Amino acid sequence: MDHKTAQANLPLYFDGELDRAASREFEAHLDECADCRAALIGLDDLRRTLRDDAPRHTAPDLLRKRIEKLAAAQASRSESIPARRSHRPPRWLAYVASTLLAFVAGGVATSLWQGSPRNAETAEAPAGTQLARDLFASHWRALAATSPVDVVSTDRHTVKPWFEGKVGVAPVVRDFAEQGFVLVGGRIDYVGSARVPVLVYRHGQHLIDVFVLAENATANLAASSAQNGYRLEPLRLGDQPAAIVTDMDAAELEKFVRLFAS
Amino acid sequence: MTAAASQDFVGELAQRHLDAAYSLGRWLLGNEHDAADAVHDAFLRATKSADTYAGGNARAWWLAIVRNCCLARLDTRSRDRRNVSIDDTTGGSDRAEQLLPHSEAGDVEDRIDHAQRQALIVHHLNNLPIEFREALILREIEELSYREIAEVLQTPIGTVMSRLARGRALLQKALAGTAAGKVTHGP
Repeated sequence: MDHKTAQANLPLYFDGELDRAASREFEAHLDECADCRAALIGLDDLRRTLRDDAPRHTAPDLLRKRIEKLAAAQASRSESIPARRSHRPPRWLAYVASTLLAFVAGGVATSLWQGSPRNAETAEAPAGTQLARDLFASHWRALAATSPVDVVSTDRHTVKPWFEGKVGVAPVVRDFAEQGFVLVGGRIDYVGSARVPVLVYRHGQHLIDVFVLAENATANLAASSAQNGYRLEPLRLGDQPAAIVTDMDAAELEKFVRLFAS
Repeated sequence: MTAAASQDFVGELAQRHLDAAYSLGRWLLGNEHDAADAVHDAFLRATKSADTYAGGNARAWWLAIVRNCCLARLDTRSRDRRNVSIDDTTGGSDRAEQLLPHSEAGDVEDRIDHAQRQALIVHHLNNLPIEFREALILREIEELSYREIAEVLQTPIGTVMSRLARGRALLQKALAGTAAGKVTHGP
């Protein structure tokens, strides 16, 4: 690790945000570099000063009691509303409820009778486009951030176990540096409400995200799509479905997809 | 989540992280009264928007609400100058100097007791621009991860990193400045 990289990694190392392999590399550099050692000691001194000397503000009892009371009041209110209603329901309410129920039941029966295949189809199409939208959004979010990766590593043996520790999924990680697609690292991102591993590659100036998706997630993802000059291409990563999002042109993207298939 | 369950969730969450919330309030607003009121506001807001909690780090979600309530208070405070009542320490910029004993550098460390060191660090922290102060507090005192801080501050992780770096450098410089001051005050 050269001095410049080490300097950039120093706060990450200090804050425990560097993965194991990169930490080891950094420590190797530290053995040789007095400047980095001094900088690290400086950060540690500052932390010690802050933790020892800065006052710890604990919530005053009065505030604690206030919040306790509010929480208790809210809990009892949300319990008592249905209780009070069921206690003595006005007669008209029962009438309205019965007609409403009949109406709803009729509606359900009608929609069932109309047949489910059509409904299922209309529900599925938005799910697919929603997934595509999420993937594009995640990619753009990552581009807007200063660093598109949570774990910086060009070593696939580092990236894979890092994911395993974070999301319990260990995707197949391959590096195509020789073919011009360099593994930069990985991150965890949200697709809908699911946390998914993302492998990050770089090709020239292009950043490539490979989202590793849950089984059956790509079933309703269109073959490939494009939005604002960015492309989305579903593929399979070993036996897991995945999707590539990037701003590379179609030819380069195809080359990249072929590498995964090989 | 049902309404009742989400109320319970917020109540439990707020009480578990009440110290962290109050501490953040103190560092942002400076005094006990405003900090307690901001936490109170935050609790009400959290119970109202409990349905919007979309999973993820609950503590970061709660602290983000607390922070927003603090910033709202700071905003009204700056519009209404009569209410400026930041803690004891930001009173005068020469205060840190007053706290330092004028004696040989050798026994300076022994002479500054805990209260004085505390006043010194509070003084320097409060002198930092708020965006650096809050990042430092969340990292060093509350020990949040970069990602959690990013969630609280609603900024990208890269911004968190640069603010931390800048905040640390500024604070180191300020502390070194008073340390150097100590020596020159000697005989």
